[in-house]
Amino acid sequence: MALIALYVFAAFIVIFLAVFIKDFIKNRKSHYKYHKGEVIMAFVLLAPSVVLAFFLVLLPIITSLGFSFTNYTLGDPNNISLAGGDGFGNFRDLISEFQIKGDFYHAIKNTAIFVVFVVPIQIGLALGLALFVNNKRRGTTIFKVCFFAPVAVSLSVTAFFWREVLANRPDGIMNSILANFGIPNQDFLGTDKILGWMIAISAWQGCGYQMLIFLSALGNIRKDLYEAARVDGANSFQRFKTVTIPGLRPTMLFILITVFIGACRVLIQPMLLDQGVYPGSVTLSLYMYNQGQKYGNVGLSCAVALLMTIVIGSITFLQRQLLKEKKK
Amino acid sequence: MKKRYLNDPNFVRSKKSKKKIIYSVIYYLTGTALSLLFILPLLYMLAASTKSEAAVATSNGTFLMFIPDFTNLSVFFDNYAVVFGERYHIWTYAINSLIYCLVVIVLNTLVNGLAGYVLAKFHFPAKGFFSFIIIFLMVVPVETSIIPLLSIVQDLLHLNKGFFSIIAIVIPSIISVFNIFLYTQFFSSIPKEYEEAMHIDGAGRVRMFFNLILPLSKPIVATTAVFTFIGVWNDYVWPSLVVDNRGTSGWPLYPIQYAVNIITSSDGITTGQIMAALVITTLPIFILYVAAQKYIVKGFGTAGLKM
Repeated sequence: MALIALYVFAAFIVIFLAVFIKDFIKNRKSHYKYHKGEVIMAFVLLAPSVVLAFFLVLLPIITSLGFSFTNYTLGDPNNISLAGGDGFGNFRDLISEFQIKGDFYHAIKNTAIFVVFVVPIQIGLALGLALFVNNKRRGTTIFKVCFFAPVAVSLSVTAFFWREVLANRPDGIMNSILANFGIPNQDFLGTDKILGWMIAISAWQGCGYQMLIFLSALGNIRKDLYEAARVDGANSFQRFKTVTIPGLRPTMLFILITVFIGACRVLIQPMLLDQGVYPGSVTLSLYMYNQGQKYGNVGLSCAVALLMTIVIGSITFLQRQLLKEKKK
Repeated sequence: MKKRYLNDPNFVRSKKSKKKIIYSVIYYLTGTALSLLFILPLLYMLAASTKSEAAVATSNGTFLMFIPDFTNLSVFFDNYAVVFGERYHIWTYAINSLIYCLVVIVLNTLVNGLAGYVLAKFHFPAKGFFSFIIIFLMVVPVETSIIPLLSIVQDLLHLNKGFFSIIAIVIPSIISVFNIFLYTQFFSSIPKEYEEAMHIDGAGRVRMFFNLILPLSKPIVATTAVFTFIGVWNDYVWPSLVVDNRGTSGWPLYPIQYAVNIITSSDGITTGQIMAALVITTLPIFILYVAAQKYIVKGFGTAGLKM
């Protein structure tokens, strides 16, 4: 660990010095000279953020990359070697676990299902709500506040609340409500149902946030475009198709990417809603977290992180390209 | 008789009024139904927190479960009393979280603000290098590196030692590359003449930062402070990884979100008490959302910059 940090630090310093000297030589010919006091002051004031960013942002990213090829274990920094002899042991482990349909297989499956459902539901809901309240009627502010209220509740409090509501006990809130209508005890957070609840709760909680972003984008669409379309005889659906949708495209791209990334990383809901159905609720983030924290397999955990980063990064890039092309 | 013109709004309304009223009714009915969908779970949380266990059980399934029990005011705050009381003492965790939030806000503003100031206003070699690193770190997803971050923090500050555990909780929130970027953008727009005037008066760069740059940048500082507060108060995963109670004498170090997990899953707690704990955890954020509305809306504007 300390060795990796040292190497990264050395590389950082070498690059920094190279750029520093290059700039310095260039500056000798320029008429806008550096002042010695200003340069020293700049580095003194930059020092805290550079030190913190180095140790807490840059180093984790680089060590994560490095660890994924090792069998590094948490709290055992002296015993470190290449995983499986050639460094690809973690990835082979993951592939074999995928083939025997172990936890990793479930993690990929659950995350994929979660993303496929939550992204369109949440964005669709957010857009629908934004269009619904985007008019001059009285009282829409109250609707907006109601739609936004779940956003103000933290992810973990939401999970604790729904864990109580959906508890598989006769005195669980939902079960005692249903009992009054004569419906027998249900296991809402069972293996086959927990994912559905996760999707519903996420969309319920998150869509108010995207609604506000959509609303500000709707407010930015020029009113004269609607007038022009109306003069040209477009009905409300045609106006929506030719004015609203193109006007929302950049916002749509932003929301699509952020919701997608957020959905890929879903961690707190499976972690806190799970009442002992572990492989049924596991997501990639939870798998990564458990491997690193519970079992101490930092190497394997970082390998998952690396795969996630590559997959998320490439799909995000693809979405961006696709939506940009349509714009032309 | 008053003459009616085609552009008279009353004339148009009288023609369309029936259709319009029906539309309005449908609109408000749909809106109310949708609002209830979003707000009812929260109303239940609030209502159940004021009821005894028996009252919760009898009201479940009826409309009364969403309404606080105003008929029995003697027990109205009983659950809150229990949650604040000796057994769960949620106030200690709330104070912990509040201290963490304030420490992070102050240090975050200082560290990132100074960095933004240097990058915006100073002329020094290797400036491009630092700007490049900031853009690079903003693009690379950070959250996937939580486990390596844990091992780094564990190696740097040996955990399980009380005070270091506090540092471990707050330290990752202090640095925010995105905030450095925001500050740099904002400070660049402050005219150089102000600084030159202060320079003639003999002020140093640090004094300029505190007496000129920060006061001029109140909106952006307030916005980032609000979002930092929400982020730290609501953080669950990171504190749950690093916090450890061993070695501290008496005062538990858990931030509130983690403590609520322990409280709500402890034996013998009633539904009402759980809901009271959840309400207490959520209330400061609700108040902040209402009080700092202006800055939060501004934050939505800057959210687009993140791309």
